[in-house]
Amino acid sequence: MNRAVLLALQLLVALAFLLLWHVLTTVPIGGRKLLDPFFFSTPLDVLARTWKDLAGGELWRHLGITLLETVLAFATGATGGILLGFAFARRALLAAVFDPYVKAANALPRVVLAPIFALWFGLGIWSKVALGFTLVFFIVFFNVYQGVREVSPTVLANARMLGMNERQLMRHVYWPAALTWMFSSLHTSVGFALVGAVVGEYLGSAGGLGYKIQQAESVFDVTGVFSGMLVLTVFVILLDAVVTAIEKRLLVWRPAPATATS
Amino acid sequence: MTGSRDAGAPAVELAGIAIAFTLSDRSTYRAVQGIDLQVAAGEFVAIVGPTGCGKSTLLNASAGLLQPSAGTVRIFGTPLAGLNRRAGYLFQQDALMPWKTALDNVAVALEPAGIGRGEARARALEWLGRVGLKGFADRYPHMLSGGQRKRVALAQILIRDPEILLMDEPFGPLDAQTRQIMGNLLLDLWAADRKAVLFVTHDLEEAIALADRVIVMSAGPAAGLIGDHPVPLARPRDIAEIRLDPEFHAIHRTIWGSLRAEVQRAYAQGEAAP
Repeated sequence: MNRAVLLALQLLVALAFLLLWHVLTTVPIGGRKLLDPFFFSTPLDVLARTWKDLAGGELWRHLGITLLETVLAFATGATGGILLGFAFARRALLAAVFDPYVKAANALPRVVLAPIFALWFGLGIWSKVALGFTLVFFIVFFNVYQGVREVSPTVLANARMLGMNERQLMRHVYWPAALTWMFSSLHTSVGFALVGAVVGEYLGSAGGLGYKIQQAESVFDVTGVFSGMLVLTVFVILLDAVVTAIEKRLLVWRPAPATATS
Repeated sequence: MTGSRDAGAPAVELAGIAIAFTLSDRSTYRAVQGIDLQVAAGEFVAIVGPTGCGKSTLLNASAGLLQPSAGTVRIFGTPLAGLNRRAGYLFQQDALMPWKTALDNVAVALEPAGIGRGEARARALEWLGRVGLKGFADRYPHMLSGGQRKRVALAQILIRDPEILLMDEPFGPLDAQTRQIMGNLLLDLWAADRKAVLFVTHDLEEAIALADRVIVMSAGPAAGLIGDHPVPLARPRDIAEIRLDPEFHAIHRTIWGSLRAEVQRAYAQGEAAP
């Protein structure tokens, strides 16, 4: 199937969905509307509200806050995950001792930490960064750990026979192997950084997309909630496109373009 | 304990080597036993034997990648401790770093010697030319054929100018034509400065065509050396043509006489294994 036809079909699905939504919420069928616009809003209202917010400028401030939190959560989480992943993979004793605690910490649903973080770091951006950190950290940590441990023994033996010392092995063998694994989980970890930011905002903050959605919800402004969700969705799609572009540049050596987005 | 070459000492000497592995059920598997072997400086020695007889194990012991459970490995007269710094090792499996281009894979081999990046790359490019891959410097390993990857690996080993070459069925995964081309390339490069070579293969014809001496190993477990046959064929040789030489056939017949029984024994064991 060629790209144009596929794109047309994809657009058709979106249009059909919007049309159905529109008809059910605005056209009376058998004397009454099947979906009450108070609870379900209408597509045109949502678009109009989104347009108004974007023109108003207030929305951009919220977007900026969420983006900053996402980037900081990803950067700190990835850095921590890489450092500890390396340490655990290279020091078997360390890994063995901390294994149950790492598993326990990872098993904890992170959302319950949000109120604690709000208490510790306040209602500003840092409590959201902390929440995103706990989500990103474990994904990157497990992938780097796996990547370092699963370096091909032949590649490693070859590098050692070439006379490489520990530092050179790190730079030429372990580090690129770990990066490969990290990038294979990049989409997931960036997504989780955003989840951490939005959930944190939703549970207590004074700015950001999560805050905006929560505000709208508290006054039963369904149009505002849907508008916030729309903006969030477009934001995630753009972020994912940026990640894909970075991935393509950094993993040129890989045989097949990475399609796994587990 | 100096690194200098002890005149007259063999490049590689295995004395009374035994190698055993502990299996997962805690029993011990004796792979090879009572191995005495010397490779003189500048000599090309091939080891043939049935599959799974422990040929590669001997190579790993000579490289220092594996500690023998008994016996001594001496490199130019000095007992080997740790990795063998004077040897280059060509592996059977792909050993190139997949995240580096052909050029970087070869150039990085000079980094441990403290050679700067610019000079390393210039010399790597020259070596790629020598193995016939001048136009492939920017390719990543997955973009190269199996034979081309072996050429890069060969350049990566030889650019360090090691005194000993250890080769573990290096051309095993390649097709017949590519094997011949690679064999001739190896002989050409080797003829330039005659390093000591220990070449492991299960292909007797390849062993005779390349080597000065062919060592035959018995089937495992506790495999030993059961034959040591000189190959007095004239050099330079052409791998494809030398196979038609009547003398080649005579040597082949002699060695195959001792190898055949071992191959059958190994095969019977394989069939009998659960």
